[in-house]
Amino acid sequence: MRFTMKAVFVFRGLFNNTPKTMKRRDFLKSGVMAGVAASTLSFSKLDAALSKNEVLVEEAPDLVAVMGGEPDVMLQKALESLGGIGKYVKKGQSVVIKPNIGWDKTPELAANTNPKLVAELVKQCFAAGAKKVTVFDHTCNEWKQCYTNSGIEKAVKDAGGTIVPGNDEVYYSEVKLPNAVKMKEAKIHKALIDADVWFNVPVLKNHGGAKMTIAMKNYMGIVWDRGYFHQNDLQQCIADACTWSKKPVLNIVDAYRVMRQNGPQGKSAADVSELKTLIVSPDIVAVDAAAVKFFNQVQKMDMDAVSHIGTGAKMKLGTQDLDKLNIKRIRI
Amino acid sequence: MKKRINILKIMRVLLALFVFAAITFLFIDFTGKSDHFSWLAHMQLIPAILAGMGGIVIVLLLLTFLFGRIYCSVICPFGILQDILERITTFRMKKKKRKTRYRYAKPQNKLRYILLAAIVILFFAGTTRPLLLLDPYSNFGRIATNIFAPVYVGLNNLAEFILLKFNNYSLYHQRVYAVLSSVLFSAAVFIAIGIAVHMRGRIFCNTLCPTGAILSLVSRYSIFRLSFDKEACNQCGLCEKGCKAQCIDSKEKSIDASRCVDCFNCISACSKGGMQYRFVNPFSKKKSVGKVEKKAPEKANSRRAFIATSATIAGTLPLLSVKGADKEKELIDHSKPILPPGAISRKHFDKNCTACHLCVAKCPNHVIKPATFQFGAGYLLKPHITYEHGFCNYECTICSEVCPNHAIEPLTKEEKKLVQVGIAEFIKELCIVYTEGTDCGACSEHCPTQAVHMVPYEGTLTIPKMEQELCIGCGGCEYICPARPVRAINVIAKEVQGTAKVPVVEEHKEVEVDDFGF
Repeated sequence: MRFTMKAVFVFRGLFNNTPKTMKRRDFLKSGVMAGVAASTLSFSKLDAALSKNEVLVEEAPDLVAVMGGEPDVMLQKALESLGGIGKYVKKGQSVVIKPNIGWDKTPELAANTNPKLVAELVKQCFAAGAKKVTVFDHTCNEWKQCYTNSGIEKAVKDAGGTIVPGNDEVYYSEVKLPNAVKMKEAKIHKALIDADVWFNVPVLKNHGGAKMTIAMKNYMGIVWDRGYFHQNDLQQCIADACTWSKKPVLNIVDAYRVMRQNGPQGKSAADVSELKTLIVSPDIVAVDAAAVKFFNQVQKMDMDAVSHIGTGAKMKLGTQDLDKLNIKRIRI
Repeated sequence: MKKRINILKIMRVLLALFVFAAITFLFIDFTGKSDHFSWLAHMQLIPAILAGMGGIVIVLLLLTFLFGRIYCSVICPFGILQDILERITTFRMKKKKRKTRYRYAKPQNKLRYILLAAIVILFFAGTTRPLLLLDPYSNFGRIATNIFAPVYVGLNNLAEFILLKFNNYSLYHQRVYAVLSSVLFSAAVFIAIGIAVHMRGRIFCNTLCPTGAILSLVSRYSIFRLSFDKEACNQCGLCEKGCKAQCIDSKEKSIDASRCVDCFNCISACSKGGMQYRFVNPFSKKKSVGKVEKKAPEKANSRRAFIATSATIAGTLPLLSVKGADKEKELIDHSKPILPPGAISRKHFDKNCTACHLCVAKCPNHVIKPATFQFGAGYLLKPHITYEHGFCNYECTICSEVCPNHAIEPLTKEEKKLVQVGIAEFIKELCIVYTEGTDCGACSEHCPTQAVHMVPYEGTLTIPKMEQELCIGCGGCEYICPARPVRAINVIAKEVQGTAKVPVVEEHKEVEVDDFGF
């Protein structure tokens, strides 16, 4: 679990000037949270805060969930509450964004990450001063068709990012995974190996083999040999991939449109529900656990069946125990 | 000697270069940028006949009736290829020698029309094999796909490798897909035609080529044609010596219009303006064609060249009898080829396909491959589908769009999604879930119709289950199945392509959630 104390979140006008859109329950919750946080503040800061009629909350949440907005707006809200993109991307860094672009499907069918979300993240990275923003996936369907029909290629290019192929072994280099159980080494995309920071941006989907595909399963697309996973205990290998020492700075789970059934490819739009939600956390196990619980409201999904999440928790990749986390819930 | 500008020849060369560049690009390009050039394949004579495109056939025949065999110089890629090869093989010759290499040769009319008749008879008897071997467009297609494309991809990969060193991803790496037997066969034809064109010019076009033979029947009556201006001609013989079709007899001042390919080189060769491209009454008594020549100076030579050409082609056949990997997959029936979606049936495909390999070249998933001997000698070079390196994309209809022969009939996306090229068979005893007791589901994951879906097995495990009537044989399951050495799910070809059951479209139910659930 990670606490980042430096992050400063400002609740403007908590004592007066309350935004009209804020629900009563949220208002009370944030009030309590702010109160708790305020009691831990140094007095000098409290004085400053009081004099400006603002309260500083020094603790960034461990997990942020946003509901009810467009993908780009929800991302803005989430990043804002986490302390801004500048916390994750520094000036001059090269950034990789790894969405799910696995299938030759249009955005409405929710087989791939929402292009608007990817575009907004590219823009945010550049706003933070990123030197280069690169996007790729090792697709299941023919990669060019996936890149085009998912809308992601255009979205990335329009936002000024670079989309690179992941269709050939030449783009991958071997890395060691010393903490893995089965998959002790894997070939990982060079763009990612060379990057300063990376974002894991999956879409929330039902999955025939892994039961669910969220942030941990999205790691399969950074690896060349996908077959190895299936041959050597899929669920364990998913957790193994996540042991790679270079962790994403954030896992951003797109649940704007959610494929409830027949995943990961889906048969038709009937498999998809528009739930307009985004779940973000640096903790990959927590974000997956939260996403499964969220998913379980629309389609029954037993957490134990998605066993790579439990395995990930056992391997100390993160926590499954959401009660112990500081979760921020935002409704738009 | 004043030099005349030969506008006809300039036009011929420019048009030919454009057509050749475009159609070659159509075959070698792997980025999808060339698809709008597929009309060039559709306007080839033999494919248009096989596809039943009456309009195109009539236009081509009319063109020939009006202007002679212009087709052979500017539309036929194999003809243009020969011109290019001739130019390359004579590159180091002195200009004077290069321009005076040929002599008039007697037409091999018996041979070419008997051959044409044989091709037609055999076609109606049910075999397209001789046509497959002799159709100029298909031969060009095989050379482009099996020789030019791998070279092009190799160069692309070299450039890509260098750019990648500079972290530049503007090109992308492409795997070289080539089947040895087809490469050897195409290379043999390429070399043979190079030798033939160097020695005897357009000998192939005027003896073996079925397209040439058909067009010659019309061009002998063509309205505009090359003819001697008998006043201007001083019988120097330069036109004859420059004629790659070897159809000008300068002594007799006659031109065999059935063999002339309208290259217009003779116009340039003559400094006196003795060669004219002009209106000639095709039905006038004084026909310049079909005369029985008294002299046949190179008779022996022409026969020798022909024998050499055929022998080269025939001689390469034994080379190809490289045995495919027979021992693998005894468990699974791979004895029949899986045909591309839209091929209708083995019978239809056998009859219409001349193995031009355009589908092989254009398949973005590289699942269409030319056959060696795994389906018998009768299927050599013909395309079939294999799921070794990929699977047929659910949304893709490219092969049916490009096939100029309609051997693969055009399909809409919705039609294609129901065409059963084969049916997947699941062998539970080989499945990872059964043998290892771990989750897998790769097959179901890749199944676009959910013909294979996961059902509860032991504990939280799920195992694949097949619903064959939903299966279209796209091979997603077979390609991705991790079980080895034999895959647990394999597509078995259908001799006659079927129609799958339309997947049940569920009602879209509105789901409202206003809680996070955690």
